[in-house]
Amino acid sequence: MTDLLRVENIHTFIGQFHILEGVSLSVPAGSITALLGRNGAGKTTTLRSIIGLLSPRAGRIMLDGREIQGRPAYDIAALGIGYVPEHRAVFRDLTVEENLKIAERRKGDLDRRSDLIFDLFPDLKRFIRLPGGQLSGGQQQMLSIARVLVADNRLLLIDEPSEGLAPVIVENIIEALRRLSDHTTVLLVEQNFRMAAQLADRYYILDDGQSVQSGQMAELARDGALVAKYLGAG
Amino acid sequence: MFDVFRRNRPLLVAVLLVALIVFWMSNRYEPKVTANILLSGLTLGALYFLVAAGLSLIFGLMDVLNFAHGLMFMLGAYFGYTVYANPRIILNTLPLMLALGGGAMAGAAPASWVWARLGAAQNKRGALIVVWLLAGALTLAGIWRFDLQSLAANAATVAGGAIATGQAQEAAGALAARLGLLSGAGLALGLALRSREFGPGRSMARNAALGIGLVVLAFAIVPARISGEAFILGLSNNLRFVLALAVGALGGAAIGALTEVGLIRPLYSRPIYQVLLTLGLVYVGTEFIKGVWGPVGYYMDIPDYFNTRGGDCPSPNLLLWFRDHCGSIDVLGRPFPSYRLFIIFLGVAVFIAVAALLRYTRLGMIIRAGVQDREMVQALGINVQWVFTLVFALGTGLAALGGVAAAPFIGVNPGIGQDFLLQSFISVVIGGMGSYPGAAIGTLLVGLARAFGDQLVLSGVQFPGMETAVKLSPSIARASTVLIMAVVLLLRPAGLFGKKE
Amino acid sequence: MKTPRLRLPRNWLGPAALLVLVLFPFAMALITGQPVTEGAPKFWQGMLAQMFILAVYAMSYDLLLGYTGILSFGHAMFFGTGAYLTGILLKHAGWPLWQVGLAVMAAAVLQSLLVGLLSLRVRGVYLAMVTLAFAQMFFILSEATDFAQWTGAEDGLHSIPAPRWMNPTDERLRFYFISLAFCVAIYLIVRRVVESPAGKVMIAIRENENRAQMIGYNTFVYKLLAVTLSGVLAALSGLMNALWNLNANPTMLSVGVTINALLMTIIGGVGTLVGPMLGAAILQLLGYWLNAFFGPRWPLIFGIVFVLIVLFLPYGVVGTWQMRGASWRSTWAERRRRLAGWANEGGLGRKN
Repeated sequence: MTDLLRVENIHTFIGQFHILEGVSLSVPAGSITALLGRNGAGKTTTLRSIIGLLSPRAGRIMLDGREIQGRPAYDIAALGIGYVPEHRAVFRDLTVEENLKIAERRKGDLDRRSDLIFDLFPDLKRFIRLPGGQLSGGQQQMLSIARVLVADNRLLLIDEPSEGLAPVIVENIIEALRRLSDHTTVLLVEQNFRMAAQLADRYYILDDGQSVQSGQMAELARDGALVAKYLGAG
Repeated sequence: MFDVFRRNRPLLVAVLLVALIVFWMSNRYEPKVTANILLSGLTLGALYFLVAAGLSLIFGLMDVLNFAHGLMFMLGAYFGYTVYANPRIILNTLPLMLALGGGAMAGAAPASWVWARLGAAQNKRGALIVVWLLAGALTLAGIWRFDLQSLAANAATVAGGAIATGQAQEAAGALAARLGLLSGAGLALGLALRSREFGPGRSMARNAALGIGLVVLAFAIVPARISGEAFILGLSNNLRFVLALAVGALGGAAIGALTEVGLIRPLYSRPIYQVLLTLGLVYVGTEFIKGVWGPVGYYMDIPDYFNTRGGDCPSPNLLLWFRDHCGSIDVLGRPFPSYRLFIIFLGVAVFIAVAALLRYTRLGMIIRAGVQDREMVQALGINVQWVFTLVFALGTGLAALGGVAAAPFIGVNPGIGQDFLLQSFISVVIGGMGSYPGAAIGTLLVGLARAFGDQLVLSGVQFPGMETAVKLSPSIARASTVLIMAVVLLLRPAGLFGKKE
Repeated sequence: MKTPRLRLPRNWLGPAALLVLVLFPFAMALITGQPVTEGAPKFWQGMLAQMFILAVYAMSYDLLLGYTGILSFGHAMFFGTGAYLTGILLKHAGWPLWQVGLAVMAAAVLQSLLVGLLSLRVRGVYLAMVTLAFAQMFFILSEATDFAQWTGAEDGLHSIPAPRWMNPTDERLRFYFISLAFCVAIYLIVRRVVESPAGKVMIAIRENENRAQMIGYNTFVYKLLAVTLSGVLAALSGLMNALWNLNANPTMLSVGVTINALLMTIIGGVGTLVGPMLGAAILQLLGYWLNAFFGPRWPLIFGIVFVLIVLFLPYGVVGTWQMRGASWRSTWAERRRRLAGWANEGGLGRKN
């Protein structure tokens, strides 16, 4: 399997704080790779560094063998990376339809993908005219995921999709992500270890801004000690 | 509709307050006076809106508080006035700008190719310094002793008349030499500006062709200066007014775009310095205007379309006005200048046009999304920088349009920018920064308050227990809008439509 | 063998500068051969006296911008109100100077408390706009014809009867020393303030207001304190300015005066005390020379210089000087980060 994304030893600062102190990981094409770690370990910062909302001061990020670090976020995203941030970041005053339309990179993207999107998330079709801010948390999460499906993205960066959602809705989202993984590659940040274990093929663990451990998800799920050490009670 | 009020008490209070004041006025004054005050308020409000709309959009989208917005309004007024009364300045300076800009475009096109061929970084640095120096020297040589002041000083014309002296203009040969120097400077500038980008530039040939085209156009204007001037001055003043509106707005937009790209963009990581920079621009711009056009003001006359006299004037109603184009229209028995109705119309038209832009176009969608979450818009692959530049140009263009429209109403002088900026700031703070409807409501309130205040101070205020009414000067009415702002801030710091922090 | 270097006390620069300034009129007289109360020495005493007054004004502004992180665009209102009040009380009420001084301070406390209470409800650029609006209100009122009998409307107040013993025309040398003493005294006071616990809180507010709040400080009170102190100092410099010019006019309340405060602070160096004073000197001298070179349009050149400084020299002269030497690059980067952090957390930042 070839690596779609390779992150090599990046260092990222926020203000004067050195947040990432050497993170390396690789995401094979067609896989779901989970990025695990405690709060403040640097998971979100890693995703933001990849998409270009933060610029790493050192290290390399390669998409398909091409260096992308240091370029503006819109440039990196246009190469085919979709970003689903934590807290969904749905545009509150835009309708569901506009929230989807804004993600088009070519005219007609939404029409091409609407079958897939509304099949995955039928709720969105029902509320198509509603402002994003009036959706429930779960619907907003669905919209946020649907938004990155509109354009042709090779890689999806998904940050905490289960956060603050009821278990039933989490199941929905797991199902949707599982179906998605047939089409695309996912780098998933998740606190909910059970969810990550259900979905991911491979994992990386971050601790204190460094990548400390990686391997097959199935092995990690069996290794209670390791989970307890880095992730707290699983 | 009424949902808005339920969620926003202060807005309800504001509306009720306005209704109460209107009611009180209609009791106190005759209906014709009340109508007059309301229309005057709308006129002012429309002008404030043209400034405030851009101010608010720019702040909402990119967090830049543009103190130079009043300057843009003023520049618009001066540009418009210049086209209207003294096209000679334009016809002499436009080629210079075209030559420099076209040269830069043409120079930027092959830049990546040239720099890639220079080899070692050492060579490159040396070459870059040489190119920069060359650009600077050629520009200086190109504008050396260019006498802008006397061009402007000869402006005094009557409507439709010719410009008095011919001396102010340089000989065609001298101007052409300047153009040669400036297009050379442009080439060097384009080369220098693109030195950091590598790899093939996009649409190289098209840019080069466009740049060369602009330079050719610049040279073509030189021999046509005299006839061009005669042609423009020969147009009816209605057409010249339309031309003034267009040139003023486009000129303002162009300056806005250049400001954003060249001066604001490098400072996005240092927001305070952006504000300081725009403040510095006000300083520079105002002095520039005083230097070129002099510290005293001009009056731009009202185009004939709004200024016919005699006959059946003032028109008894709007329909007949369209036949007669009288200078004023009878409103409930009192004439009201029809040009001010045009300003109101312009304000409303711009409000609707921008609202439609925001509501129905992709650009509008991006702007609305960007106001809420700029980062997410970027992360979707949208080039926000480009949108910033567009919105900045749109905002400054609207302010400049307002400036041209205001010129026949309040005149053109180096102080108008500051006053309009202040009132627009107050409107925007009242309405809520970054909210488009807020800007509209805020300007409406401030405009009405100003008109009402003016009436009040002129007719005098009589408090209970006082023998005679106290007469005040209009300055008091101007200052009193600050108090309205203070009250709104006390009740609702984020403004009527602003989101809480 | 190394040559032994002359070792100076750590903070020798300040006293040395003071000594130079005290000796300046006499040195000038010695060099030019003119008497100390006439000609070039007198002229340069005037230049320096103005610098001292402006230096106090600039320091008062930096207390807000540089130490507390408050971006106010209404500083002229304190300066101008101080000047006007001085003029009105001396001319129309005939008060003695010490009473005028107290009245100016009291009025400034009142004014800055009022403006502060209203404008500190908002942050960042909002505050800048709101303070600008208040300042413009005072400017407009100063031009209003309604109060012409006290303020002289657009003409302003002329020939303010300053006490004869410190008249800047007749007693220039004495005025020079008074303004020097004024400047030094205020400098010492402000230094004491910024080094006090309250000053530390102000700096903490500049660095990160939310954090300061979380530690348990009532940041509003400290910001109000900074605004008030800064307002009083600005009003006092306005008083001195009125005594120097013997007039008060609407220009002293205009945005231009606020911009001058910004210019001096930015040119000299934000967040230092020496910076603004140096900035005042540079502004005064540059204005004088540019005026000599370019005539009445010199502010145009000046504005361009300001824009260039904002673009390329954001830490001012003193700030850049502090970053010289071996650690140039790292300090520079550190400062830049701090500045970015300060701006971000001051409510001016980008949205997340």
